[in-house]
Amino acid sequence: MKDLIVTLIPVFPLLGFLILGLGFNRIPKKLASLIGPGTVLISFILSFIIFVIIAAGSRRGVQTWPVTEVFNWMTFGGLSLSFSFYIDPLSALMLLVVTGVGFLIHVYSIGYMEHDQGYNRFFAYMNLFVFFMLILVMGANYLIMFIGWEGVGLCSYLLIGFWFRNQEFNNAAKKAFIMNRIGDLGFLLGMFLLFTTFGSLNYIDVFHNAKGFLPGTGVVTAITLLLFAGAVGKSAQIPLYTWLPDAMAGPTPVSALIHAATMVTAGVYMVARSNILYALAPATMTVVAVTGLVTALFAAAIAIYQNDIKKILAYSTISQLGYMFLGLGLGAFTGAMFHLITHAFFKALLFLAAGSVIHAMDGEQDIRKMGGLGSALPKTRWTFLIGTITIAGMPPFAGFFSKDEILSSVFTHSMILWVVAVTGALMTAFYMFRLYFLTFSGNFRGNIKQLQHLRDAEPVMMIPLILLAFLSVTGGIINLPALAGGSAWLHSFLGPVFADATPLLKGPVYFLDAQTDYLLVGVTIVYVAVMIVVAWSRFVKKSLIPDEATILRSPVARILTNKFYIDELYDLLFVRPSLWLSKVCHDVMEIRIIDRTVNGAGTLVVKAGNTIRYLQTGHVGFYVFMMVVGIIAILLFNLVI
Amino acid sequence: MSTIISLSVLGVLILAEGLLGKKAWHLPTILIGLLVSLALTLSGWNLNLHYYNEMMIVDNSSVAFSSILIFTTFLIFMFAGHYYRGVQRPLDDIYAILIFALVGSVMMTSFGNLIMLFLGIETLSIALYVLAGSHKEAITSNEATLKYFLMGSFLSGFLLFGIALLYGASGSLNMDEISAYTVREAAHLSPMFKAGLFLLIIGLAFKIAIVPFHFWAPDVYEGTPTLLTAFMATVVKVASIVALFRLFSHCFPAIRETWETTLWILAVLTILVGNLTGLYQPNLKRMLAYSSISHSGYMMLAVLAFSARSADALLLYAAAYSVATVTAFGILILVRGAKGNDLFTSFEGLGRKNPVEAVCLTIALLSLTGIPPLAGFMAKYYLFATALEKGYLWLVILAVLGSAISVGYYFKPIISMYLKEGEGIKLEAGFAYKTHIVFLTVLTILLGLLPAFLINLL
Repeated sequence: MKDLIVTLIPVFPLLGFLILGLGFNRIPKKLASLIGPGTVLISFILSFIIFVIIAAGSRRGVQTWPVTEVFNWMTFGGLSLSFSFYIDPLSALMLLVVTGVGFLIHVYSIGYMEHDQGYNRFFAYMNLFVFFMLILVMGANYLIMFIGWEGVGLCSYLLIGFWFRNQEFNNAAKKAFIMNRIGDLGFLLGMFLLFTTFGSLNYIDVFHNAKGFLPGTGVVTAITLLLFAGAVGKSAQIPLYTWLPDAMAGPTPVSALIHAATMVTAGVYMVARSNILYALAPATMTVVAVTGLVTALFAAAIAIYQNDIKKILAYSTISQLGYMFLGLGLGAFTGAMFHLITHAFFKALLFLAAGSVIHAMDGEQDIRKMGGLGSALPKTRWTFLIGTITIAGMPPFAGFFSKDEILSSVFTHSMILWVVAVTGALMTAFYMFRLYFLTFSGNFRGNIKQLQHLRDAEPVMMIPLILLAFLSVTGGIINLPALAGGSAWLHSFLGPVFADATPLLKGPVYFLDAQTDYLLVGVTIVYVAVMIVVAWSRFVKKSLIPDEATILRSPVARILTNKFYIDELYDLLFVRPSLWLSKVCHDVMEIRIIDRTVNGAGTLVVKAGNTIRYLQTGHVGFYVFMMVVGIIAILLFNLVI
Repeated sequence: MSTIISLSVLGVLILAEGLLGKKAWHLPTILIGLLVSLALTLSGWNLNLHYYNEMMIVDNSSVAFSSILIFTTFLIFMFAGHYYRGVQRPLDDIYAILIFALVGSVMMTSFGNLIMLFLGIETLSIALYVLAGSHKEAITSNEATLKYFLMGSFLSGFLLFGIALLYGASGSLNMDEISAYTVREAAHLSPMFKAGLFLLIIGLAFKIAIVPFHFWAPDVYEGTPTLLTAFMATVVKVASIVALFRLFSHCFPAIRETWETTLWILAVLTILVGNLTGLYQPNLKRMLAYSSISHSGYMMLAVLAFSARSADALLLYAAAYSVATVTAFGILILVRGAKGNDLFTSFEGLGRKNPVEAVCLTIALLSLTGIPPLAGFMAKYYLFATALEKGYLWLVILAVLGSAISVGYYFKPIISMYLKEGEGIKLEAGFAYKTHIVFLTVLTILLGLLPAFLINLL
């Protein structure tokens, strides 16, 4: 029964995709609005049942979970690939996030995409995305994960370029796809190395065999680094992050679901899933932590000077993902997963609220041309404010607890790192409140036409917002630390998944007692509050509107506005040389060498065929003669010679 | 055994219906009868029954291959209603002879004695001579039957002579005893035995249409009524290859060196000549004839690389090849019905006018080419991999080269359908016919995605 439910979870979104994709425009919109979100809702209900079963098991102290084999895919030689799912607390939790948040965003899309010509196509792609994301999360071996991994990449590409008549959007889609491919190459190589090292790609076998390796073994370090390259691409970390801000070309629900709540967290999930391997490779852990920290700061700094509402959120996503990797790199797997979950709530909320703003503003995304929307869009404003407070890390909202968990584990490793990480958090508070104030406070800076129909979106869009706001406020409950009177449920729930990795990790350098913890939390909160006030005084009290002229005067601001010129740098370093190289390849290799060889071979084959075909004369006598020649040749060859 | 009995009863039943004049009953009876017989065949799984002093041995491999033959016949009969619509003459004879031909092919997959092999081949062949000429009014059909009969009876002589020589040398027709003889005498095999062996190869090579004994195939395929050509290209082809495989894997593994080189050369010749000549064919039917020749070359790899796994690979290959070929013939029948010919020019514009049929034909041809993720690719992959395991590197390289050449002709109809503008007559496929074609296409895709269902059977 349980196996059946598990198997059915990804089936429904796939069905939805097939129906909507094959039926295309023949299916009426009403029905499509039912099928699109409906299939995800069914998956959510099934995931919830599975989650309850797993949670009940974990309360009883279950330490191992069965693999659900759907079918034996192929067997050859020593390689046996089975299409199977593995549901443990980690994937059960991810299932809830993917289907739950996914469902809310599907519902929201009914309103947001209402007047779009590609309505059915949109839901078909979204369902396909959910399907692949579920495959990624549920797979019982790295290959199944890779299928999902590639599949979500494909859907991301299709949805970024959803409005394909705009060439810029297509370019953004291509950029996302290519950047991801670079990472995927690492993932693929990592998989090959995994297979040659462990002789299997199944999680259970790999993790079991990994226990026999000593920490710091070269091959495990290589595997984890290669896999991490995949995570860097998918989760938009330095140096492969530049695709994510451009990915905002897609419709806003896509940004919310794929480029904030779920797909981009796949890298985090993958590292958490492979926790034992990473625990065996301290060098990789350092790389992960450093990459995460640097990305967190870097993206936060860029976000301060951006003016596109979705791009700010995109950079904040990169930055928050950086915090998750920081947590992973320090061995705080549960903390990273906790932040992943709360981030899914509040970032989906922020994006959807931003979508509501963009909807009301007729597609305007520049916050310099907004202002004063608070009174016209009260519901959007309040939900956005909740999201902002949550991401800024003010208690008692969810983001506070999850970020604090990562920060305190940073503190136990190094005080300097902690200071750096907190600086990033302060920047987050600043740019998010800058965004909030510029959008919702002050005077309206748009045009008259926008002003006339400035109002909150319809209920079908607002209800998901309100639910997500509720989750953002209360989501911290799942892992309330003992300090706040909780029982750290997530820790005990996920504990068995990370049980083998925990003893291998470096212990804390500093001991964190309750008093220190209170102190650290207090300091953080005070500084965050200060940042909010600073933002308020700049953008509300003095009502400063960022403009080009003032920015250009300060070199720091100029660099940050131009995002450290990374896009230009990549263009110079990689894009142009490869374009040049491909031109050379085309002109010399392709036309002069390959074409000639291929055409020559083709001509040869055609000539040979032309000669042989004349043997087929149609005369029986000739045929019999040829056969007798053959018979004599065979007998001569075998019997006489 | 129950398979042969049930099929024979089915054939007689059709004749009886013909006597009663119940023409409309034929197809339902046949389709149900084939399914019943398929079920009876499958019930023999794992039983490993031996009949009449080892004359017939129904082991798992014969169950699996017989099932594929019966199933393919079933698939072909699904087209029969459409193909023979409007035909006034009674059809009981054609249908019954087809069923009897199937009986012969089933015998070729489960013989335990060379006499049974010969009887199977003759049951099949004589039925085919009649079927090839079953369109009495057409001169091409008459030509086909005459050519086939002349050359077929000529080569049957070689087959029988070969069997006689083997008997003379080893003193037995029983496969186990011949096998024991080869083990005993492997070092100093008598010339008589060797001559018998090669005459046997020659006889079978003719039935399979292996180069240079393939000349009959294109002419006969072209003249034979299309529905029956589909039967020849799939059921007959698979049965003959399986007979060769069964014979060599049971009787002659001990003297591999003796026959290895000859079969190697024949396989390479078949692959190259089949594919090269295929490039020059003006119409789909002749092209499929050459395609079937080159595919018998690939399937000979399974005979050469005999191992436990090559039986699996051959099974998958036979299934993939049969399904894709039947699909192509199904659409060929439609186009011939609408246009009166099957020149590639007749396919122009089909992509827009008949998207479903065009896509199905495309997938079938891609599968025959061996493009992933379709069944044909998986089948080729497993087949080539088993051959590589046995060290046939060059053979595999040449086979892959042959596959590459085959792209040249498999893509011809695809190009015509999609890239050439044409008036594109609407094909008159009924709903059932269309559904059947789509079903076949889904099979091709599923076999490619989930080869494990067939690959671990034997």
